[in-house]
Amino acid sequence: MNTRTDSSSDAVVATSFEGDLRRYLRGLGGLFVFLLVWWVGAVMTQPSYLVPGPLDSAHAFIDLFGSSTAIVVPVVGSNLVLPTGLAHLVQTLLHYVPGLLLGASCGIGLGLLMGWNGALDDWLRPLIRVLRPIPPLAWIVFAIVWFGIHHTGAAFIVFVGAFWINFYGAYGGVEGVSSELTDAASTLGVERDLSMLKLVALPSAAPQVLTGFRTSIGRCWMIVVGAELFGAPGVGYEIINASNNLAMATSVAYMFLISLAFLCMDVGFRLFERRALAWR
Amino acid sequence: MALSSESSTSRDARQKITIQNVSRSYESTRALADVSFSVAEGEFCCVVGPSGCGKTTLLRAIAGLDDPDGGSILVGGDPVTGPGLDRGMVFQEYALFPWRTVRGNIRFGLDRPACDCADCEGRVRELIDLVGLDGVEDAYPKELSGGMKQRVGIARALAPDPDILLMDEPFGSVDARTRDRLHAELLDIWTQTGQTVVFVTHDIDEAVTLADRVVVMDNDPGTVQSTFSIDLERPRERTSRGFVEYVARIRDELGSPADNNV
Repeated sequence: MNTRTDSSSDAVVATSFEGDLRRYLRGLGGLFVFLLVWWVGAVMTQPSYLVPGPLDSAHAFIDLFGSSTAIVVPVVGSNLVLPTGLAHLVQTLLHYVPGLLLGASCGIGLGLLMGWNGALDDWLRPLIRVLRPIPPLAWIVFAIVWFGIHHTGAAFIVFVGAFWINFYGAYGGVEGVSSELTDAASTLGVERDLSMLKLVALPSAAPQVLTGFRTSIGRCWMIVVGAELFGAPGVGYEIINASNNLAMATSVAYMFLISLAFLCMDVGFRLFERRALAWR
Repeated sequence: MALSSESSTSRDARQKITIQNVSRSYESTRALADVSFSVAEGEFCCVVGPSGCGKTTLLRAIAGLDDPDGGSILVGGDPVTGPGLDRGMVFQEYALFPWRTVRGNIRFGLDRPACDCADCEGRVRELIDLVGLDGVEDAYPKELSGGMKQRVGIARALAPDPDILLMDEPFGSVDARTRDRLHAELLDIWTQTGQTVVFVTHDIDEAVTLADRVVVMDNDPGTVQSTFSIDLERPRERTSRGFVEYVARIRDELGSPADNNV
């Protein structure tokens, strides 16, 4: 009896391990084929700057960290000297991070309140229907006239993007709170609406709130690069700057730098999410 | 027909819960129509009836979670105006907070400002002991079986030390063997704490196993059909003659309207 259970669970482990291995191998295969197609395409295309090859791009990527660049840290005002690639990444993060955090906080806050309070929902829903479809990048005109296209302006655009995604995450999450749980909380002495929001609605909406935030991490990278194409300092600006000099390999290097930064943040946040939602 | 039904409104001195002419309608259905009965202090009262007879609505009204259209509900002489820590509730589908551990769920009512326990941690440990949850204090609800979950539900409801325990088909989703164990444990707890219990079920055997008194309800509209005092020593043997007779009489009572229709 015991041995049978053991061997069957062994079999399950073995198949899942084989499955993982097969998946990794297929994934590597896909990458390899892509590199091959890229390389062949680059060799066959003339003039060569139209498609920089994988090797040139890799060289350009390494070169990003071979030279140094000084950037100005806003607010503090002092100069910071870093390897060039890192310096521009830091420039991007200087408006990406504040925009994301502020936008997420405001979006989650309003989403929770609106999902919870019917009257506020009635008041704001039509307004939100009108404002929501406007793409964050369309606000760039106001970012430029209000703040100038620098860190503050770019942060503003990121703010708008982060706001909506997080708003809908929190709003949907609170709407889905089961009445059974709020009933249970009422019989256990939760009287005020605000305590109910904090003790029941927020933790119950946490999965959707966190999913919303994780989605906004990715979306805001798209938005921030868009804002930088208009001239805000950072990796997005460097992409267009390099291409203006026909240094397309450098553009590709910056593109992969963005991809790398996003991957790190996404993986980091997923780990956090898994720990925070261990109860699921 | 109403051979053993008793007039319940006349007894008043030690009535913990008094339900007077309570009515409740939803859109087109009358969930409760002129329901009156009372529950004595320390009494274990079971409410049985077919689904749709309004027994859950009635329980929710006592808890203060539902507002009847007419009539009044008095708890300890005061009208019910909303939920309160004097009435603990155990839910059919447990309604545990999934993001809180067993300990955290039990602790929930103790952390409210309205509740002032001197030693909350001690109280939680005591309850974990009482309902037999040692060893799983730090588990999340998803890791527990149905029976375990309902033990947590009971401990959580008991934590603020309510006068009244309201139970809405609490063992409807656990298997028969676990249910028997939980019945015995519940009666033990009730003997120790002396609380007034209102226990809703559709299972006549369960009602006769547990109750001092069984209130039989009929559906459409929900009314009290009769009440039975169960004069049997505990623990009760389901195969004993007295037990079988009570079950048969209650079943007759529940079946009679249908017979009339035929």
